Amino acid sequence: MEKSKWPPGDLVIWIFIMAELLVFGVFFSAYAFTRANHVELFNTYQLTLDRNAALINTLALITSSYFVVRAVAAIRNDNSQRCFHWLLAALFMGVVFLVVKGAEYQHHFAHGVNLSTNTFYMFYLSLTFFHFLHVILGMVILIAVALKAKAGGYSASEYTGVETGASYWHMVDLVWMVLFPLVYVMR
Amino acid sequence: MTDKNVFIRPCTWIYLLLMALTFVTWFIGTMQFSGLQISLMVLGFALLKGQLIGDYFMGLKQVSGFWRWAITIWLLLVGSLITFAFNLTA
Repeated sequence: MEKSKWPPGDLVIWIFIMAELLVFGVFFSAYAFTRANHVELFNTYQLTLDRNAALINTLALITSSYFVVRAVAAIRNDNSQRCFHWLLAALFMGVVFLVVKGAEYQHHFAHGVNLSTNTFYMFYLSLTFFHFLHVILGMVILIAVALKAKAGGYSASEYTGVETGASYWHMVDLVWMVLFPLVYVMR
Repeated sequence: MTDKNVFIRPCTWIYLLLMALTFVTWFIGTMQFSGLQISLMVLGFALLKGQLIGDYFMGLKQVSGFWRWAITIWLLLVGSLITFAFNLTA
């Protein structure tokens, strides 16, 4: 297969993706370097996090990303209805993520945890909530793409919009792949 | 070759690999294994997962030039900084 010079989808989304990755990269580095000065604190409070919930959320995002891959494959085969159904499945996994993460937040808030509790929770809450907002934005994009697919707005010859939405959603998944081990596991 | 052979099938295998690596990471977290080497191994899994998502799910394996390596560069940069920070406490 001949290689393309440009990534799939609209180039603008890739510039946006790189900007987002840069911000997350700074956030991750700030977490790691701050932890270096508060190892005991970070290790202690990391144990209060729910790793099972994080596992479910990681599996949900990976599965969702795979469903989006299938949606892109479907529209390449000119099957917009199948594309729509795969996107719906991906969105469902996105909802799973939001519900599980919401339950985690509720648990912490019920125990009086907030941004001021300590440095670890400040990073945990702000990092994960920043990602949470990106999941919501990604879902809004996927809903827009799904509705257009359902209306027959894409075809095998024109599916840039599907690839654009897919690329953003994969970025949301990619960031979580680093966030999950960094915040929940590495100690 | 059909789209199923060149696109879906590799992505399905990658999906299964990503799931497996996730379970390994979760297991390490649940067992509360700690230490620099364990942390760097877990980070290595994360960077590998990121690279696989970039290559296969985002389709960058079929791209040449800067964009082929954009995700790789980000992963290496972030991975290096996190490794350096964790080394400070070793």
